[in-house]
Amino acid sequence: MTETAVLILCGLIAGPVVGGLVSGLDRILTARMQSRIGPPLLQPFFDVVKLLAKEPLVVNVWQAFCAYCYIAAASIALVLFFLQSDLLLIFFVQAVGAVFLVVGALSSTSPYSQIGAHRELLQILSYEPLLVLVVVGFYLETGSFKLTDIYAWPHPMLLKLPFLFIVLGYALTIKLRKSPFDLSTCHHAHQELVKGLLTDYSGPFLALTEIGHWFEVVLMLGVCTLFWATSWIGMAVLLAVTYFLEVLVDNVTSRMNWRWMLSYVWGVGLTLSLVNLIWLHQG
Amino acid sequence: MDIRAMLTVILVMAPFGGAILCIVLGSSKAIRSAIVLATGAVLIVSALMLAPLVPFRLSAATFLGVDLHRIIQVADVALLLIILYYGFKHRQLTVIVLAALQLGLTIYLEGFLVKGPLPVERIFCDHLSLMMVLIISIVGSIICFQAIPYMENHEHHYHVMRSRQPRFFFVMLLFLGGMNGLVLFDDLVFMYFFFEMTTLCSFLLIGHDRTTIATRNALRALWMNSVGGAAFILGIIAAYHETGSLGLQKILTPWLAGSGVYLLALALLCLAAFVKAAQFPFQSWLLGAMVAPTPVSALLHSSTMVKVGVYMALRLAPGFTGTLLSQSVAVFGAFSFLAGAALAVGQSNGKKVLAYSTISNLGLIFACTGLNTAESMIAAMLLLAFHAVVKAMLFLSVGAIEQHIESRDIEDMRGLYAVMPLTALITVSGVIMMIMPPFGVLLSKWMAMEAAAQNLYVIVMVALGSALTVIYWARWAGTLMSDPFAGRFRPEHQPALTWLALGPLCIGSALLSVGAPWLYLRMIAPMMMGPYSPAYAFKAGGLENAYGTFAILPLSVVATLGLVVAAVALKRAFRAKIVSPYLSGLQTGEPSMFRGPMNQSVKAEAKNYYLDTIFGEARLTDWVNLGGGILLTLILGGAL
Repeated sequence: MTETAVLILCGLIAGPVVGGLVSGLDRILTARMQSRIGPPLLQPFFDVVKLLAKEPLVVNVWQAFCAYCYIAAASIALVLFFLQSDLLLIFFVQAVGAVFLVVGALSSTSPYSQIGAHRELLQILSYEPLLVLVVVGFYLETGSFKLTDIYAWPHPMLLKLPFLFIVLGYALTIKLRKSPFDLSTCHHAHQELVKGLLTDYSGPFLALTEIGHWFEVVLMLGVCTLFWATSWIGMAVLLAVTYFLEVLVDNVTSRMNWRWMLSYVWGVGLTLSLVNLIWLHQG
Repeated sequence: MDIRAMLTVILVMAPFGGAILCIVLGSSKAIRSAIVLATGAVLIVSALMLAPLVPFRLSAATFLGVDLHRIIQVADVALLLIILYYGFKHRQLTVIVLAALQLGLTIYLEGFLVKGPLPVERIFCDHLSLMMVLIISIVGSIICFQAIPYMENHEHHYHVMRSRQPRFFFVMLLFLGGMNGLVLFDDLVFMYFFFEMTTLCSFLLIGHDRTTIATRNALRALWMNSVGGAAFILGIIAAYHETGSLGLQKILTPWLAGSGVYLLALALLCLAAFVKAAQFPFQSWLLGAMVAPTPVSALLHSSTMVKVGVYMALRLAPGFTGTLLSQSVAVFGAFSFLAGAALAVGQSNGKKVLAYSTISNLGLIFACTGLNTAESMIAAMLLLAFHAVVKAMLFLSVGAIEQHIESRDIEDMRGLYAVMPLTALITVSGVIMMIMPPFGVLLSKWMAMEAAAQNLYVIVMVALGSALTVIYWARWAGTLMSDPFAGRFRPEHQPALTWLALGPLCIGSALLSVGAPWLYLRMIAPMMMGPYSPAYAFKAGGLENAYGTFAILPLSVVATLGLVVAAVALKRAFRAKIVSPYLSGLQTGEPSMFRGPMNQSVKAEAKNYYLDTIFGEARLTDWVNLGGGILLTLILGGAL
């Protein structure tokens, strides 16, 4: 019982703290790649605190509702991850958050929000099947969807699921809102859509979506650790390399359109997943 | 008389009685409504009373002193003659040929093939039948209740001179009786009779408005379902030929599995099931059925008609465990799930979205049936129940919306919350229940995915279909909640019976989701016999097996907490400052207007993405039909 409570607390704290730090590191790293110095590590926290202190302004009251639902779903998903629950269930819970974020954006009539929301839906359409197939890959290897069993697996998963790790990379890039898949919104200036999906979220509600995003980032990084769950060093190295590559990809690619994203991600992602799944199935 | 026999008689005969009363006495609105309400109440009470008595088998030799088999024989021939009559009346060659074929086959079966006295133990009610009876009697009755105010408006709107409502409710109630008969009888000839009865009822209901398009679509439904009927009777003949029995439970004894003709019989019965469930390439009858008044669509999609198909497949599944037939049914179902979801994405017509979503969900049920493991069968049965309730609710909401805004296009529902706050909220909760945990539809989808993970064809299609499903539902929910801002929450005016239908369905499906573990323990676990075993254990308020866990109760509690917090935030947001949506700083004072060229006010508009070039009907339908046709060939050919 106490253990459960501690784990829940860990999830609730790790989300914003680690997520914010990762975001700070990301900004410094990006800045260095662009020959800038970049903001202090804690800048994302300052930003969020500033937003939280602002006067609440809404376009439509449902935005407030949706922002809270988003952060609730994102935090529950991460807590379930810490409680080592069913991986597919965690995936479904995080999808709830993604949907509420979209519904909140659709509740504004601004074309920027509307188009951003639809692009976000297309992003969801692109990465969701891939995430399911990654989870199926874990199941075919370990015979279970439960995280307890997957973490207890004695061999590093990366050796058996290399293609699925690449597939997860695609999903991760979309989830982290990185180029070339940052169609709906991203942390950089958006020339054609203002802030896209998040255009009409403001003040404290924008802060909530940011914190919710941190929860999601930590969750996705958590899923990455499953690929080398046998040693802490393995996990750390894998995470560092993966995140560095994400930032690199973000900086060396340009934003593409949704048709390209959908056909490319489904084409490459599904092929790689299938190859890996058949390998596991036959092996 | 045995109480079980009595309840069975009431469940099948009470709707027939009510139907006849509707025709005879139903010209006055008050009497007609009273008859419909009374029949519905009787059905609901009887179905609930039946619940603690299952499973049972009963013999049914005679009814009112006449041999029951003889009655059904006569009724069957009469029914086919009626269909033949409609074929001639509308000069529809396909209908005539198929009806004549069925008539010939029925006479062949009854007159020449079946010999000797038949066993009379014809009534078989297990938990699957019970689940169907509950869905038909409760959801079906609620839909009939809502039809009372709906049809009043409907006729008012179309300026109908002489009310045709007595006939309408006659057929609606007949439908419920026929459905109950179909699921309570075990004798294939009886099932066939009721199967044909649902075909005829749906024909009459789809053509109710007597417009050209209604008649055309009704005839399409008639001929397509006649294909199903012909497959059904051929299946019966093949099954009788092989086993010498007409009792379904007897036929499904596993020792026969593997014989070619036997599997062909099951494949033909499955084909009949696919037609009823409007699986590709037979989807067009269900889409055409949209022209009917919305309660008809609600009835066809949720508690009757299409559910015949999945019920039959679930019944037959133990007969084909471990065969190629089973596997191909799984792939076929998964294909339908994916194709239905893809086509739904391309639709802006709300009712069509619902229709494709029905086809898609039924496809998932078929996929689970074909996977044919304990886990997948549990998923199929849960999905059957949850889909029925939530889909009924969504259809009735759309019906109410349609009568209010006189459109069924999703684009016209933009900002519906400002016009019909309560209906919009109920619709959005319906959408949420379709795609989100901890609700039942998603619980069954979770089970289905975990059960399908071993089968690569199925899981890939289910993964893609599941993502597409999220798109079209989320888009719709967002559109309903869109600006303009509504001010205070004031429920709109609707007839009391509409609220009485929507309210219980909404609250009921939420409670049913929370109660899913008990639903499983009480209704489904007892069914898991023979090749199946109860696969899930009830642990810490959730369901768990060796490789997966779904904590339903804790998740429900947490979700409720989240909802409360969000609702408080919503309440406080009413006090927040309302600003206009971002329009590059050029907004004028009016909503959605910006200062354009020449200082003119221009309205900013954005429409939803329907991705017509990828997911449009014109683009996909032919390919999807081809795919469905190929897989059907695989099913029939693979059986041999």
